[in-house]
Amino acid sequence: MAQRAGGDDSEFTRRAADGGSAPSRREDARLVRGAGCFVADLLPEDCLEVVFVSSPVAHGEMGAVDVDDARRMPGVAAVWSAADLPAVPQTPPMLGITASAGRAWPALAVDRVRYVGQPVAIVLAADRYVAEDARDAVRLDISPLPVLLDPTDAAGSEVELFLGMPNVAVEKEYGDPIDPAVWRDAAVVVEGNYRQQLLAHTSMEARAILIRPEDDDGLTVWCSHQAPHRLRGDLAAALGLPEERIRVVVPDVGGAFGGKSETYPEYLAVAVAARRLGRTVRWVEDRAEALTGPPHGRGQNQRTRMAADADGRILAYELTIDADVGGYPHLGAFVPLNTSVMAAGAYQIPRVHVQTRCVVTNTAPTSPYRGAGRPEAATAIERTVDTLARRLGMDPAKLRQRNFIRPDALPYRTPTGFQYDSGDYPAALALAMRTVDYDGWRAQQAQRRRTGTGAPLGIGICSYLERSGNAWEFGSVEACPDGTYLALSGCCSTGQGHETSFPQVVASVLGVEPELIRLVEADTAIVPRGIGSYSSRSMQTGGAALHRAAGALMEQARGRAAESWAVPIEEVTYRAGTVSAGQRRVSLADLAAATGPLRADEVFEPPQAAPYGTYIAVVEVEPELGTVSVLRLVAVDDYGVVINHVIVRGQSYGSIAQGLGQALYEQVRYDPDGVPETRSLLDYLIPTLSEVPPVTLREMCTPNPNTALGAKGAGEAGCIGAPAAVINAVVDALDLDDPSAIQMPLTPFACWQARQPALAGAGR
Amino acid sequence: MKPTAFEYFAPRTVEEVVAALAGGDTRVLAGGQSLVLEMNYRTVRPARLVDINRVAEFTGLDAGDGVLRVRPLVRHRAFERDISAGPLGRLLSSVVHNIAHPPIRARGTMLGSLAYAHPAAEWPAVATALDAQLDLTGPDGTRTVAAEAFFAGPFDTVRRPEELLSEARLPLLPDRAGVGFVEHRRTHASFAQLAAIAALTVRDGVIDWVRLGLVNAAERPVRAHAAERALLGQPADAGTLTGAARVAGEQDADPREQPHASAGYQRHAVGVLVRRALEAAVRDAGAVGDGR
Ligand SMILES: Cc1cc2nc3c(=O)[nH]c(=O)nc-3n(C[C@H](O)[C@H](O)[C@H](O)COP(=O)(O)OP(=O)(O)OC[C@H]3O[C@@H](n4cnc5c(N)ncnc54)[C@H](O)[C@@H]3O)c2cc1C
Repeated sequence: MAQRAGGDDSEFTRRAADGGSAPSRREDARLVRGAGCFVADLLPEDCLEVVFVSSPVAHGEMGAVDVDDARRMPGVAAVWSAADLPAVPQTPPMLGITASAGRAWPALAVDRVRYVGQPVAIVLAADRYVAEDARDAVRLDISPLPVLLDPTDAAGSEVELFLGMPNVAVEKEYGDPIDPAVWRDAAVVVEGNYRQQLLAHTSMEARAILIRPEDDDGLTVWCSHQAPHRLRGDLAAALGLPEERIRVVVPDVGGAFGGKSETYPEYLAVAVAARRLGRTVRWVEDRAEALTGPPHGRGQNQRTRMAADADGRILAYELTIDADVGGYPHLGAFVPLNTSVMAAGAYQIPRVHVQTRCVVTNTAPTSPYRGAGRPEAATAIERTVDTLARRLGMDPAKLRQRNFIRPDALPYRTPTGFQYDSGDYPAALALAMRTVDYDGWRAQQAQRRRTGTGAPLGIGICSYLERSGNAWEFGSVEACPDGTYLALSGCCSTGQGHETSFPQVVASVLGVEPELIRLVEADTAIVPRGIGSYSSRSMQTGGAALHRAAGALMEQARGRAAESWAVPIEEVTYRAGTVSAGQRRVSLADLAAATGPLRADEVFEPPQAAPYGTYIAVVEVEPELGTVSVLRLVAVDDYGVVINHVIVRGQSYGSIAQGLGQALYEQVRYDPDGVPETRSLLDYLIPTLSEVPPVTLREMCTPNPNTALGAKGAGEAGCIGAPAAVINAVVDALDLDDPSAIQMPLTPFACWQARQPALAGAGR
Repeated sequence: MKPTAFEYFAPRTVEEVVAALAGGDTRVLAGGQSLVLEMNYRTVRPARLVDINRVAEFTGLDAGDGVLRVRPLVRHRAFERDISAGPLGRLLSSVVHNIAHPPIRARGTMLGSLAYAHPAAEWPAVATALDAQLDLTGPDGTRTVAAEAFFAGPFDTVRRPEELLSEARLPLLPDRAGVGFVEHRRTHASFAQLAAIAALTVRDGVIDWVRLGLVNAAERPVRAHAAERALLGQPADAGTLTGAARVAGEQDADPREQPHASAGYQRHAVGVLVRRALEAAVRDAGAVGDGR
């Protein structure tokens, strides 16, 4: 246990050391003093407060909704169910996912409800107290129908959640089916069944939206969101308005983690209500609502099979996924496809085959949750690789080294069709092993096992591959006559510190002080286009767009100067905010003042990137009660070029904490009727600072070969790497032969139970 | 998460509190750390709240006449320091650090916790194990109930709605008593999964007095009588402690299935925790110096 203190490089000393070399976050001055401005802080006069009457039944036939008593209550402006609306808008399908065809998710339930919490009626009142009173006065008549809670059960059930439609909303296959002979002839074949439990996003700020109708029949919308332009488009489509009439503004956001990039039925109902009443209306979700979802994350049943030769060379890998997409297939139906594409991990495996089903159930609809499919992929293959190592009697590190895609094989296209760009996977594992003192821990483990003293000790490795960034992003840089620069980005910070890091990017290109650069994002009236912040895409894609825009601005300034000085452009040079040719010299500010706006807009679409790394966890399992203690966690990540180390480390720590949450503590639970049991943070346990073990971060840097900036995604690694490292360590500590005997969260009970056969065998 | 409308009283005397409680559908507001949460979830909807925080005579904690008197406004936090009541003070302060986290301990009260009767709360089991006497004051005066008879089930006690829990008296422990408290929970700030409380004295190597309590091991806080019987008059050695601990798990505990703990696991874990609490208590008694 001596190692527990974290040795030479505790996270705190490293952080302190970093402060000097990377600018601290501009936004923190307001955020840490409580002076930020979130949607709930914007409370215009006369704003009506919304509360939804939601279904208490997980699956049922709707009878009449009796709103009469509720309407009569003093202070209540309106109470409407779907029956009261001339048209009930439907939640627009996301990312062109066809699964929602015929399975529309209405703003307010029509005919049927499909999860507890589904909005059935909207209450608008002077304040939230009155609104909740009115909510309780609405009488529902819902006849219960059979409830399906598990995706595999639901896929095989006679009960149809959507009449005449299969419960399997999407079925996809990646790679080619594996010839049965491969399994038959292989020296070893191992299998596993893994459950990815449902998780709640638990952002500090839950969902929130405020809508003000405008005189031109348009709307101004303030929303805690990750993708303002998408929200604008969705609202326009659902309400039949031209996009220009809708302005979406995202103020400070208290965390999103993938749950705020979509358009929810509640948002549509709020918009409809604001327009009908001609009043400003807001909905601020509370913790009880947020925990019971939607959205939820994860939720997969996985089966894996892996074949190898006697030397441990992996011959084939097969993954079968039944994914829970909840009551309506929405953005959650995209997540398992991400798992599928990333199935092969860091290994050169000749045959990889994935079959995925996205299945509707009566849980709350799912969405991406930090990691969004990659933690599921990493856990499946990394647990399976460890099982293979056990079966072969081989060290799991050695088995990985034998099968890694070599650096010189990159770029590499996987059998599931994804291209890995660059990196050095063996080096990441080697660095992690050195950092954690892998051999030392193995020796200690061997000694404990030999002498039968000390708690069971385990070492777990996860070598993960991530997929980051997608699609294009908009970036623009303008030189203002006052000597400052205005940068616009289509991204949307939900806490990642863009106000600090994006100006750094622009400043480094322009050769000026970052303080001169002001970033504006997340307002569709100012930023003409954009996609937003998810998929770890902001720096990789949005930062790269700004990087190019800054370069283009320099070119524009040179061209403008060449024109006004009547010299060839080659004679004009740019340096630190000024252009010059011979004796002539002008600042960009003066040039803009004299010749008109100087602004460069860029839309840039780099390919997706594949950040990677290796996490190693060392755990002890308390032998009598089963409590897991993480003694050490080493994270080696290659995010490409890092612009701001303080911010990127923050991303690592945060995502590691959430990864530990999945591994050890968190689980959304339903009773057999589909009623959520985890309704408060007393039931849904998340790790706090007290639970976070000593963490050592190490960076490698292989610049993104596809952008001049060189950054790759850095937002989700900990959620991807930490769970499998911890679970592999626990399986190792408990010496479990059946890897499927234990599932996350690794509660004391789960560990104790998994050990039972062993204990019985040992005669206890 | 907003409560239904309620009337609010903030009386300054015991008489006013009792009078207000007689109005029906009224709740005492002490630290508010459980009541306000329940009101926000609307699982309770009282018509009236009687805020007792301004009643001067409800503060104060004093030891004398063989008991520690705890009044309604004594916060959990008060027990974090040594309240210099000998082994009892040591026990209470080792328990209190397991209750929630500092901001909640600064407001929540011991009597509020007893009145609330959360099955996983520590104080009800401490009171039960140590044979605390609880005073209930209502319109007809004050009656006294032994802690073991006070708790009727999860969130349920024999206190009538119009009664105030006005005092808890915890017997001081023998000077030479050793104490032990061991808790099992999933995160630092979560409620206990299970916990065990032990206090004992050892004379000439033999256990001659013992109190043993279990947190969250049954519908009600448990005084582990069967295990106590297995300890009394026995040598304070590993065999006795282990045997009694097993008895606690098998006979005294009556666990319900819980989301992250089967009944079998809980029985097993009770055994582990009781053994450890007993070991700690025997060590503590030894440290006190006259354990033999
Ligand atoms: C996050 C969190 C974690 C927690 N963890 C723990 C834990 O680990 N262990 C634990 O024991 N508790 C825990 N608690 C509960 C906490 O200890 C509460 O303080 C305690 O349960 C109630 O005390 P209170 O003074 O706040 O009572 P209140 O919330 O004011 O009242 C609770 C109930 O008791 C009644 N009541 C209060 N005082 C009296 C009285 N004198 N006479 C009659 N009725 C009365 C009230 O009317 C109400 O019904 C936790 C709470 C939270 C929010």
